[in-house]
Amino acid sequence: MIPLENFLILSSILFCIGFYGVLSRKNAILILISVELMLAAVGINFVAFSSFYDTERYSGHIFALFVVAIAAAEVGLALGIIIRLFRERKTINIDEANELKW
Amino acid sequence: MMNNYFLILPEISLLLTGMLILFLDAFSKELGVGRKIFPMLAIIGSLLSALLSFLLIGNNETLFDIYKVDDLTAYFRILLSLILCFLVIGSHEYNDKKITHIGEYYFLLLTATVGGIVMVAGVELITMYVGLELLSFSLYVASSSLINDKQSGEASLKYVLIGGVGSAILLFGLSMIYGSAQSTFYNDIAINFLNGDFFNLEFLLVGLIFLIAGLGFKLSAVPFHMWAPDVYQGAPTPVTAFLSTSSKAAVIGLLFRLLGGPLLGVIEYWQPLIILLSVLTMIIGNLIAIQQKNIKRMLAYSSVGQIGYLLMAFVGLSSYTLSAALFHLSGYLATNLLIFIAIIIFYTKNKENSLINDFKGLANNQPFLALIISAGLFSLAGMPLLAGFFTKFILFQAIVQNGFLWIVVIAVTMSTISLYYYLQIIKQMYLFEDNDNNCVSKWNLTPSQYIASSLLFLLVIFIGIYGTPFYSFAEQSIMVLF
Repeated sequence: MIPLENFLILSSILFCIGFYGVLSRKNAILILISVELMLAAVGINFVAFSSFYDTERYSGHIFALFVVAIAAAEVGLALGIIIRLFRERKTINIDEANELKW
Repeated sequence: MMNNYFLILPEISLLLTGMLILFLDAFSKELGVGRKIFPMLAIIGSLLSALLSFLLIGNNETLFDIYKVDDLTAYFRILLSLILCFLVIGSHEYNDKKITHIGEYYFLLLTATVGGIVMVAGVELITMYVGLELLSFSLYVASSSLINDKQSGEASLKYVLIGGVGSAILLFGLSMIYGSAQSTFYNDIAINFLNGDFFNLEFLLVGLIFLIAGLGFKLSAVPFHMWAPDVYQGAPTPVTAFLSTSSKAAVIGLLFRLLGGPLLGVIEYWQPLIILLSVLTMIIGNLIAIQQKNIKRMLAYSSVGQIGYLLMAFVGLSSYTLSAALFHLSGYLATNLLIFIAIIIFYTKNKENSLINDFKGLANNQPFLALIISAGLFSLAGMPLLAGFFTKFILFQAIVQNGFLWIVVIAVTMSTISLYYYLQIIKQMYLFEDNDNNCVSKWNLTPSQYIASSLLFLLVIFIGIYGTPFYSFAEQSIMVLF
């Protein structure tokens, strides 16, 4: 059986890649994809923990399903907002969204 | 086991009102209903919810093992429903003028309130998370609902991206806590942590750090506060009011449930994090507020500072500090809502630049509104006879009794500093003449605006003079945790 550590290392790497993407990307949609990577890491964590420790109730599996569903809703919502921004500014570069500062 | 659905009637009434509003909005032409009916329905729904919550005080039952209806839930239900009610009464003229898709807007406010209640009532991590996202998602959309306003869309984009990162961090923390406690139910987590028998310390530490960081994003605590001023400035003012009252209150309620319940057994690990967060939030929030020219940004930083005072309650955690914090929370919410409603009323009539200079000479043009705003600001700064002083006094006293004098010294210093920037607005209103005439001279408030602002004004004074009933209700609500 694959040890738990391997899953956790994988999920930590994914989470860090996602976080790096959020910090470094300028395109709003790419930032959204990076957030999705972070959520995927969380899903791996939950499923791994629940199949190792919580074999009576499998709450972690259910939590992972909820995370997937809510992440899908979040993408739909964020894309709607990005479309609104594109209509107003003809760009989705977040550096151009600079009216609000200090 | 029988599940008593009557216990969740307040949430059901809020949601059904929301559905009804959405339905009437979709078929408004066929049914021949005007836009006036939506705020009416929202007020009726939230009042009904507050009334039902009053009737449900004193229950202590857990539905489906995941949803707890007790006095703490009742306290937050009443708070959140009444906030929504006052907000709609005070701001519906503003909404009629400046908000697109008015039906959906009220629906989103109602679902956000339901989300806040679910966060506080849930005693299981999944339920809590779903409530949190219901609150956040509703506000992401609501903050983009200004007509033809570039700033509103930008605020919403910033909110959705940073909020998404915040909830991903929160979820990572939850997954780690799940890994060390091996259950998502608060009861089981509390038992496992207290026994310490199957208990993985590394997972727990990582989990607590990420959990507190994630909740810090939602609370806009320093150093996770950078989204707050931008979103507060860009969003429609009623949504800003909602963000700084209901959404903060719900996260604080969640912290009561989580830190006072399952995580109480591991208090020595999260205590330093909360101390750090609280001190940073108080200092930086209040210091940056000084240099703000925009009133919504200034109030954003001021509410960041206020969150710091509330977080202090978890520093020396006891039933005394928690009930003091709950009391302070209700005083803070009433005060903050009062100020925001006064600002909304002001910008319903005047052009919205959101600058502090806009308020020049308000004492001549509309003395009642100037009085209300000054009372609210003095209460936030902690002047006697108003809610802010009495509630803050009890909170600080409780924390000193727990042996954290140094943190209270910082808090008192910071609330003195905060008086400076609150007085800036009062100076503009009372000491300057409105030379450039950017303020409409001599206008009258509409009846609903009078009702909302004067009721809240009376409430702020009432809490300041005779807060005992509120305090004893807060004490009774906190009893369920210990």
